[in-house]
Amino acid sequence: MPILRYFGSLLMLAVAVLASPTLDADSSPSEATPACTTLSSPDYYEIELVTTRKVPGARLAKGKGEVTYVASPFGISVSESGSFHINIDVSMSNVRLDDDKVLVAWITTPQLDQIRALGILDENLRVSGQTDFNKFLLVITLEPAEKEPGAMWTGPVVSRGMSRSGLMHTMAGHGPFESEPCAVYGY
Amino acid sequence: MYSYRFAGLLVLVASLFPVTQIRAQEMDHSMHMHHNHAMPMGDSLVWRMAPMDGMTMPMMPGMMDDIPDVGAFLPGFGMDVSMYPEARPSEIIDMADGDTLHMDASLVRRTINGKEYVMMAYGGMYPGPLIRADRGSKVVVEFTNNIDMPTTVHWHGLRLDNAYDGIPGLTQDPVETGESFTYELKFPDTGMYWYHPHMREDVQQDLGLYGNMLVDPTEEGYYAPVNREVPLILDDILVDANGLFPYGEEAPTHALMGRFGNIMLVNGITDYNLDIQAGDVVRFYLTNVANTRTFNVTFDGARIKVIADDVSKLEREQFVSSVIIAPAERYIVDVYFDEARTYTITNSIQAIDHFRGIFVPETHDLGTITATGATSEDHADAFAEARTNEDTIADIDTFRRYFDKAPDHNLRLTIETKDLHPMTMRMMEVDTLYFPPIEWNEGMPMMNWLSTGEEARWVLLDEDTGKKSMDINWQWEIGDVVKIRIFNDPSSFHPMNHPFHVHGQRFVVTHIDGVENRNMGWKDTTIIPVGSTVDILVDVSNPGRWMAHCHIAEHLHAGMMLGFEVHERGAGPQVGR
Repeated sequence: MPILRYFGSLLMLAVAVLASPTLDADSSPSEATPACTTLSSPDYYEIELVTTRKVPGARLAKGKGEVTYVASPFGISVSESGSFHINIDVSMSNVRLDDDKVLVAWITTPQLDQIRALGILDENLRVSGQTDFNKFLLVITLEPAEKEPGAMWTGPVVSRGMSRSGLMHTMAGHGPFESEPCAVYGY
Repeated sequence: MYSYRFAGLLVLVASLFPVTQIRAQEMDHSMHMHHNHAMPMGDSLVWRMAPMDGMTMPMMPGMMDDIPDVGAFLPGFGMDVSMYPEARPSEIIDMADGDTLHMDASLVRRTINGKEYVMMAYGGMYPGPLIRADRGSKVVVEFTNNIDMPTTVHWHGLRLDNAYDGIPGLTQDPVETGESFTYELKFPDTGMYWYHPHMREDVQQDLGLYGNMLVDPTEEGYYAPVNREVPLILDDILVDANGLFPYGEEAPTHALMGRFGNIMLVNGITDYNLDIQAGDVVRFYLTNVANTRTFNVTFDGARIKVIADDVSKLEREQFVSSVIIAPAERYIVDVYFDEARTYTITNSIQAIDHFRGIFVPETHDLGTITATGATSEDHADAFAEARTNEDTIADIDTFRRYFDKAPDHNLRLTIETKDLHPMTMRMMEVDTLYFPPIEWNEGMPMMNWLSTGEEARWVLLDEDTGKKSMDINWQWEIGDVVKIRIFNDPSSFHPMNHPFHVHGQRFVVTHIDGVENRNMGWKDTTIIPVGSTVDILVDVSNPGRWMAHCHIAEHLHAGMMLGFEVHERGAGPQVGR
């Protein structure tokens, strides 16, 4: 319901404005303005996790993978071969787990030829890890709590998402005046 | 020109839209000749299709036949190349406090990969002479312009007096051909700096007008001991079978992505080699002078330790697997060559093939280091230690309480376009699913080449005032500590990384995407990746009228610059402290 979201945003904006401190006209910004708010990772590269709706307790799951650069003297970080070296901070919500189950985050190439466990989501349904895959899928699976993640997931896929770079695909078939979404005719 | 485009569109429609399955590099270039009747200036000065080395992108009918909306231009064109003096390798000029250097810019003959070109040089050298001086000293450079276009010299990174910053229209008039200008340089900060023109850098700098300034420390033990100190200037240049690829006369071509070269140069040559002894630790002073290329430099498995940033040592030395260096940045790195063998210096990247939608690993050999015998002085133990630089930490400590202050200025990096080729507009709409944080390669050479500074305007948008680029004129005072939050908008027409340079001051990068930078050094240029938000904290220390800008030469000339004034304390609006 876009209209509800619109009014919700307006309401939040109004609350934020009312709650913000007022400034003296002659005060310098460094003294009077609030400390800088925490910035988030770039929205552009954020990975939206889409539920499979197949796992009981997680059919309405929401989640995302936030992407930042691994610390480096150069601002960004890349591997020796030039792949971007990134942190991925995974967070999930709307998930109810049985005591003997955990959620595990995995990073895999789109071809599934390389799979790495990012880690077990903690009690707050969060986990962080790193990768230097160029294109990858972020997969959340339901696994037995008593076992450490192995080389490959064993449980059902709860949620999954694709790196922004994964959206880049062949332009064959993209005629210059074709306006259909690529998904209509495949890519 | 528009009639050509309209004709191109008609051809396109008639072709029922399929792209022409001709590999760009296999095209008959003669098909471009009929478009060049307006520029009958010789075989090497007609527009021909931009080199598309290694590209698999099929060309669109109507686009492959087009040329930029500016004239083709090459300095010294039409003259016999043999009439120009042959440029010689760079020399080190040691300068004491008060010394004067007489240096000109001139047209020279250069040989690259066996072919002779008319290029430019400072002092007849490639790169220009390396000016070496002690921290705290002052020297004079009597500069004369002997090239065939106006120029100035910008002393990049120096916190020098404003009158000598080399900005035409802001700090001085252009130095016309045959005229001279006296620059007074001072060196308050230890490190490696560089000088280059600040007029049509896309042409003059690309053709060889650049040189280093090495400012030596006056303290004992400032750096760890090493066996050798070597400057490495990284560059690239664009040529094809007909010679140097022409530049835009009225405005730069390649305005979208900047002009990538297809030949890599280290210290101006393609076959750089350094002979050392096995076990040597070599200190490299890296400078990237390329118009747009960001390098990822590796040393064939040799261990690398980063020592210093643009304007100071890092707080803590740090081992890395490669060195990422954007245009205009400098890094000082120590490299340990423990074995007797040949090491290849490479630029190792993941290029993007937009047509196939894939990453393509590419390795460009930049040069070699030949290690033989055994070192005469073993510095391996000193190399193994990553030192903590207490002097840098103490210097930055003064500013640490401002790290989390609210931004004083919010900049958005974006682009505006007008009358771009219709096919470029359409293809860009198709190709908007992914832009990498850094463009390591020229993924769309034809579209990039056709876009000029007349059609693409890169914009620094002050989000607080709505002012754009040179309409911005920030007012600061000596002693202010100014936080600038820079957001590289990924939703713009063509988002791209920008190396952001601030003149006459120094800054630290405090946060990238909200993550605190825990190992800082003072900088004058920093990379702003696509989609990222980068906070820089400027130590406002040097009065005058200055500018800040993107250091991709074509972006600068497409408008991506702003102005700011620094007043004496009490003479202007207070911003920080």
